[in-house]
Amino acid sequence: MSSRSTFIGAVEIGTSKTTALVGEYNGRELAIIGHGECTSRGVIKGAVVDYKAASECTHGALEQAERDAGERIELVFLAQTGAHLEGFYNEASVNVKAADNMIDAADIRTVSDLAKAKELPAGRMVVHHIRRPFRVDGRLVPGTPENLVGQRLDVGYWTVHGQEQRLADNIHVIRGFNLEVRELVLASLASGHMVTTPEDRQHGVLAIDIGAGTTDFVLYRDGSPHTTGVVPVGGSHLTNDLSIGLRLTEGQAEKLKLRFGRASVQARDKADKVWLDGNFSIGDRQFPRHAIEQITAARAWELLDVVRRKLGNAFSAETCAAGVVLTGGTAKLAGLAETAAKVFGVPAHLGETPSWVAENLRDPGNNTALGLLYYGVSAHNERAASTRRRGGFISNVKRLFASA
Amino acid sequence: MNPLHSNLTPARHWKDIPQEVSHRAMSSEGRRRAVFAIAKTAGLMVTLAALGWGGLQLVAVFRDDPKDLSRAVRSAPLKDLVLTTDGTLDQAWLARALALPKDAPLMALDLFQLRTRLLACGQVRSATLTRNFPSTLAVTVAERPPVARLQVQGSAGTPQAYFVGRDGVVFEGINPDPKMVETLPWLSGVKLMRQGGVFQPLAGMDVVADLLARAKLEAEHLYAGWRSVSLARLQSDGEIEVTTKDGSRIVFGTNEDFFRQLANLDAIVDAAKEHPEHVVRDINLTVGGQVPVAFNPAAAEPAPAAEPGPAPSKTPLFTGFNHP
Repeated sequence: MSSRSTFIGAVEIGTSKTTALVGEYNGRELAIIGHGECTSRGVIKGAVVDYKAASECTHGALEQAERDAGERIELVFLAQTGAHLEGFYNEASVNVKAADNMIDAADIRTVSDLAKAKELPAGRMVVHHIRRPFRVDGRLVPGTPENLVGQRLDVGYWTVHGQEQRLADNIHVIRGFNLEVRELVLASLASGHMVTTPEDRQHGVLAIDIGAGTTDFVLYRDGSPHTTGVVPVGGSHLTNDLSIGLRLTEGQAEKLKLRFGRASVQARDKADKVWLDGNFSIGDRQFPRHAIEQITAARAWELLDVVRRKLGNAFSAETCAAGVVLTGGTAKLAGLAETAAKVFGVPAHLGETPSWVAENLRDPGNNTALGLLYYGVSAHNERAASTRRRGGFISNVKRLFASA
Repeated sequence: MNPLHSNLTPARHWKDIPQEVSHRAMSSEGRRRAVFAIAKTAGLMVTLAALGWGGLQLVAVFRDDPKDLSRAVRSAPLKDLVLTTDGTLDQAWLARALALPKDAPLMALDLFQLRTRLLACGQVRSATLTRNFPSTLAVTVAERPPVARLQVQGSAGTPQAYFVGRDGVVFEGINPDPKMVETLPWLSGVKLMRQGGVFQPLAGMDVVADLLARAKLEAEHLYAGWRSVSLARLQSDGEIEVTTKDGSRIVFGTNEDFFRQLANLDAIVDAAKEHPEHVVRDINLTVGGQVPVAFNPAAAEPAPAAEPGPAPSKTPLFTGFNHP
């Protein structure tokens, strides 16, 4: 690997804010050297609805990050979320060809291609093929099965696909800044990679990234992502419910949510009231704390319950021994971990940003962008290594003869 | 490869989305970056082109390295000898004079040595040798024009005609033009010294050559009648004695202007023609305005003096050709 540094931008175009980070990657280490952020415009539930406004905001964040880093971004890893993203599982199996039943690269390639080959509806495009562990004669193989002996090789892929126009819109926003989108990463995978440890993932863990407009989740099993999903519900729905229930503007509701919102009702005294601003200015009003908590708790429970129902049979307490990890801006809602534990029936906690991350970035709202850099780099390296492996002279000649 | 596998068509991937966007879809910063990227690419291409050009130049320098060239040509044998001359020397003489071994490599020739060989021939005044790659030796020769002939006793005892150049060099003529040779007067009254197989140059030949050249140019009709030129008294008295084909003797002085002396001679000859009964024997042009002319004793009457002299003499003075 070259010792020359590459300056990678990680961009998350969220519903409430757009975050851009600049990472300096020298082939071995990744250092975060720049950070830019701006309030999102033209984005609803992770989808660009106003290209110009979204571009201005995203480009502003990128410029800010570049200024902060003092370097120019060369390529971008872009987080992808939105209700248009869907996933399905497909598996395939092949009989091992070799007479001695030793699995070779061709067997692996064949079974992988078979598992990935599933027609998508028109206008849909693959975002990720997430491989689940190989199985050799039913035996789980965490790594590569190459050179193992067996008669049957199975593998399954969780394929995430999205609407072409939505994906293109996000990509074009970045291209408008004359930057190439090198990796498109599911927001849930990015944030999940950041807030879970390899041990958690091995034992089974559910990472839920609750943003303003969407909630992304990823369930890990046996060390790798098992199921992902997006729920078009987020923190803004809590704000909206507060706004309607208490007859407030959205700004006021947001303020109340941040100050007094809870994911579980704790207030026992229904007469306990809280001030909207607390500065006794004209227009400042009082609201019952109990009512605020009731609204936010009901919505939080509902949100988590939607996630649980969407996971369906994939989730069970037995296969999710490491519990639930919450992240994202809305994860800061007080009592959310307790609610999650009740909903899922497993321990839940707020995801902690690793200690080596700078203090100003240690916020659950930044975990997607942070994870984007780390997950993106590892995915990119893995793909490059795979291309190198496939691009060997001998294999190229073999492929040439095979196609002839 | 599995036939089933070969028929699989992978689903469209997000990487299939074209990332090109129209110029108007870019922000101002994006457009600025695009221009910068184009400039950077152009700069890179220019740099690469410059490097490539430099590399080619380096290759050319190494390819045209004189050392390599000489090494390459060293083994190439000489095929052609090209002679360029302003005289009568020919290719056969050149081959004899150079005496090159057969298939001698061009680069192995010692041009200085070959030039010395050419200059050993008295007829050669200067020579230039040039290697024309890959296999030609070009020789350019300037020949020494003869001004007089010289009869020399050869080693076999037989007389042999040599030529003398303006610089006094005595040489054996090679392929001389017989017509030209006939016009050359013989040289007499000289003592030839041989050293190292060649004759030493004659002293004073430049003066004689001046006289002969002047005579040939100004009075060719007189020059045509000159048979020999004696240098016997050149060093001692500064006199050049010319004997004509009819036996007359004309003495020129080296201290006097040859043109004037030739004019006097021409006048005397013209005057003498008016008196065919008088046969001129000696004309002495060395004494300036006075030109003593002696006639053959066979002549009955002496030629009348143009101006009455102080006293009659056996050798009457011809004084009618005083020039200022």
